[in-house]
Amino acid sequence: METLMHFLTVFSDPQLLLLVGLGTFAGVYVGAIPGLSVTMAVSILISFTFSWDVYPAISLMIGIYMGGVYGGSRTAILLNIPGAPSAIATALDGYPMAKRGEAGTAIGVTTVMSFIGGFIGIGVLALAAPFVSDFALKFQPRDYMLLAILGILLVGSLSQGSLVKGIFAGALGIAIGAVGRDPLTFAERFTFDFRLMEGGISFIAVMIGMFGVSEALLQLHHVDKDAVRQKITRIVPSLATVKKHLPLSVQTSTIGVTIGALPGTGGDIAALMAYDHAKRVTKNPDREFGDGAMEGLVAPETANNAAVGGAFIPMMTLGIPGDAVTAIMIGALFIHGLNPGPMLMIDQPDMFWFIVGCLVMANCFMLLFGLTGIKLFTKIVEMPRSVLIPLIMLLSIVGAFAVNNSITDVYWMLGFGVFGYFMRHYGYPLGPVILGVILSRLLDDNWRRAIISEREDLGNFFAGVFGSPLSTVLLIAVVLIFVSQTPVWAWGKSRIFAKKENT
Amino acid sequence: MKRYLIGAISALALTATTVAAEYPEKEIQGIIQWGAGGSTDTVMRSVTPHAEAALGGTVVMQNMTGAVGAIALNYVADAEADGYTVLMGAENPMLYKIMGLGDKDYGEFVPINILARGTPLLVANNDAPFNSYSEMIAYVKENPGTVRFGSTGPGGLPSVVTAMINAVEGELDVIAVPYDGDGPALTGLQGGAIDVMPAVLGAAIEGVRAGNMKALAVFDTAENDKLPGVEAVAEVNDGYNTYLPWGPFFGVFVPKGTPDDAVAKLSAAYAEGAKNPEFIELMEGRGFTLMGISGDEAEAFLSKWQQGTAWLLQDAGLTKASPEEFGIARPGE
Amino acid sequence: MQHIDPDHHDGTSDATPGGEPDKRRPGELVFALVMLLASLFLLNSAYGIAGFDALSSPGAIPMATTAAMVLSAAVILWNTAKLPLDRTESLIKDILPLTVVMFALFLVAFGVLLKPLGFLPTSALFLIAAIKILGKRSWLWTVGIAVFSLVVVWLIFRIVFTVLMPAGIVPEAELIQFFRNVFAGGAQ
Repeated sequence: METLMHFLTVFSDPQLLLLVGLGTFAGVYVGAIPGLSVTMAVSILISFTFSWDVYPAISLMIGIYMGGVYGGSRTAILLNIPGAPSAIATALDGYPMAKRGEAGTAIGVTTVMSFIGGFIGIGVLALAAPFVSDFALKFQPRDYMLLAILGILLVGSLSQGSLVKGIFAGALGIAIGAVGRDPLTFAERFTFDFRLMEGGISFIAVMIGMFGVSEALLQLHHVDKDAVRQKITRIVPSLATVKKHLPLSVQTSTIGVTIGALPGTGGDIAALMAYDHAKRVTKNPDREFGDGAMEGLVAPETANNAAVGGAFIPMMTLGIPGDAVTAIMIGALFIHGLNPGPMLMIDQPDMFWFIVGCLVMANCFMLLFGLTGIKLFTKIVEMPRSVLIPLIMLLSIVGAFAVNNSITDVYWMLGFGVFGYFMRHYGYPLGPVILGVILSRLLDDNWRRAIISEREDLGNFFAGVFGSPLSTVLLIAVVLIFVSQTPVWAWGKSRIFAKKENT
Repeated sequence: MKRYLIGAISALALTATTVAAEYPEKEIQGIIQWGAGGSTDTVMRSVTPHAEAALGGTVVMQNMTGAVGAIALNYVADAEADGYTVLMGAENPMLYKIMGLGDKDYGEFVPINILARGTPLLVANNDAPFNSYSEMIAYVKENPGTVRFGSTGPGGLPSVVTAMINAVEGELDVIAVPYDGDGPALTGLQGGAIDVMPAVLGAAIEGVRAGNMKALAVFDTAENDKLPGVEAVAEVNDGYNTYLPWGPFFGVFVPKGTPDDAVAKLSAAYAEGAKNPEFIELMEGRGFTLMGISGDEAEAFLSKWQQGTAWLLQDAGLTKASPEEFGIARPGE
Repeated sequence: MQHIDPDHHDGTSDATPGGEPDKRRPGELVFALVMLLASLFLLNSAYGIAGFDALSSPGAIPMATTAAMVLSAAVILWNTAKLPLDRTESLIKDILPLTVVMFALFLVAFGVLLKPLGFLPTSALFLIAAIKILGKRSWLWTVGIAVFSLVVVWLIFRIVFTVLMPAGIVPEAELIQFFRNVFAGGAQ
């Protein structure tokens, strides 16, 4: 009864309700603008809400978080420029839909699916948080490494066209992620003795360059062509559509919660993994993936919103952040005089239920703001290209600077923008580059941790892998997915099916 | 036209402020050396609003990460020394030179306020086969090369604490598993990826209180009242008194050459901010020792800290260049 | 026959890569060659990090990935060289038309001027020039749109998100303080 009261705090207090709503609304726009990130918004809010009570401060932050994760999909669909890394997969099928004038449908489906994903994430947080965090703690360095390899195998499904070019792009991404001083030993890597390379290359700068600037440069080819008129009559998807994708969305939400709950991995990886999963399990999509398949929207969007609930799981139960945003929230709780840690659930269960309540509220506001105001958003794409292109370029520059207040990042962003332009022309997929950069640290750090823990002994390393059920399962998944992408699989499959037909 | 307009407005702004042409006449940029949500970030974001009130100005805080904080340090060192760019950092720049990470340290800065010092704490996974510091030393000596220590790279707190243990107890054969911060390392500790982790008390205390990990010893001269019953290493082995008390610290700095007026005002403001009861409660709750020192006292603290730590690391063979090369004297010489 | 559906290979979307599966686009071979050379250079640099020191060395993963880059770049170069050149396209028309080159130069100029001149003047110049060239509308319209959008961007980033873009020649901080004083004065 007590807990229910705390859960309902946010619903009964108009001020808190307003703050969650305001936060969610602002979050959608923060998320939609590449370079403005939720992480940034929340850390600014710490100073801004310093003198407030803890409840209003947290309400506002949660609103921004929920709205921001969702907002990244907007620009991904409308402009092919993901507003946040977790929306990269959304662009793959969302933008082709917008090119056909179906942006309204795409946004509608995205919103409803984000809502469903968000709820599944919150549900798991509310009902099974201690259980999930125990599971997340079981991940050893070698398991994170296997997870990273699993992630790298996604290159296959992100490279339409040539797989070799995809592999090249993925490897390039991992190399980009290694630039700068190695965080573990401080050795310089790919810095060529330039001081400005020591800080490494911000992956947000790479993303903004490759997707933002290179897209803008490509659009220059047809400045004079009229923008596609968007049909925005049918925004809310029919019940049948939702029902059809419900099984998939439950699966991808599970991926989202799990990846989100693991410290060190977040919504970006979750969304890409979910996209890959959707591609695997969808037998006959209405349209091909990469050509505007609805499933290609459903999977990443449910997963990245489910990851929000997931990220709160280790934060609330152990005081360990599930991602960058929850890390800042831990700081915020600390500043407001709470002691975020494993005792929080025991000392202050009201905080836990209050946060769950805020998340539920923010999720509902997200649905509301997501389904309204689409007209305004679609107007963006219908803007004359002569204004839109320079604006995208300007926003890319400001956004790249804002990530770390660094002019160097702006130069990188511009460099990768031009490079990405050539890559697109010559059929090199860009998704794997970003995937590589995201996974670079996860792979590199954990490989080294794992092998150092075994004193460089590969025998012990594999003994460790096979000694743990979790590692074994991950290894089998890696092998299976790898084999499924090689010709051996197709050959084996055709043999088996051929036999069946004979009998 | 446009230029004229800007000129006119700025002239107006100037005349408006000449009435009170005193520092600060515009907002101050506070560069936080570490990422959002880290302990430096939290400490700075919680003291600065109080200091702002005392100063009567605005401090815009920004995180600038990369190259173990060297990017932020260089940025502020290269900025104009006018008191409008302030560095909010932790202890590690004092080791940049000997670690080959850069050619600048706090020697190029004037300390505005050294706010607080942390106490290192040795924590272990709950399943580790030892329950106290002495048992751990005995176990490691009996089972060389099996115990995994977490570390955060050369020059980080764990490397200094490990060097201290080696200096006092003799070389211990342990596996140092590198992490990129004490947060991830403590997570790894709870999951059993590492057995022992030297961490700052504030980062580990909640985990210890909840029984998710066990405290072996505090690295101090006496027991800490936050963790009664946990032995202090100096009480176990007298040899530690040479090095302790030691701990990471947080401070606010401006480049050398900043006008005295600005330094005085900033120092007064941060001294006032650090006295705020809310801030004190917050810091003590996390087990930090408040210092609130500035001026000569702070300079003396910095050079003593640097000498002790640099030579400890040098003797442990962890440095890239000898402290001697940079005129860092061996303590007691 | 001569005209190719632009929607098919303009590469506007990552999902429909701009490369052609069975033909070589102008400049593609050079690009593939440059990629191979760059990969070799990076492999050499990765080897320089720690050599074949240990499995756990900071150079291990960089070496593995750059080796993968070299291998895949070599395969790409080989495959590309085998393809027939697409004769319907030309470098100047389809890959690097004048506007693209010009905008790339604009961006470079933006990067160079950003620090000395400051964010506001540089962006204003860029927006006005870009919109005028692309839009071919009246000066009033161009400057109006440019200034309006710049002010919006500036308000969001500088005021709301306190991102301190290089101020350059504009005394931004003093201006903001001035307005702050005005508001503070008004409130009293």
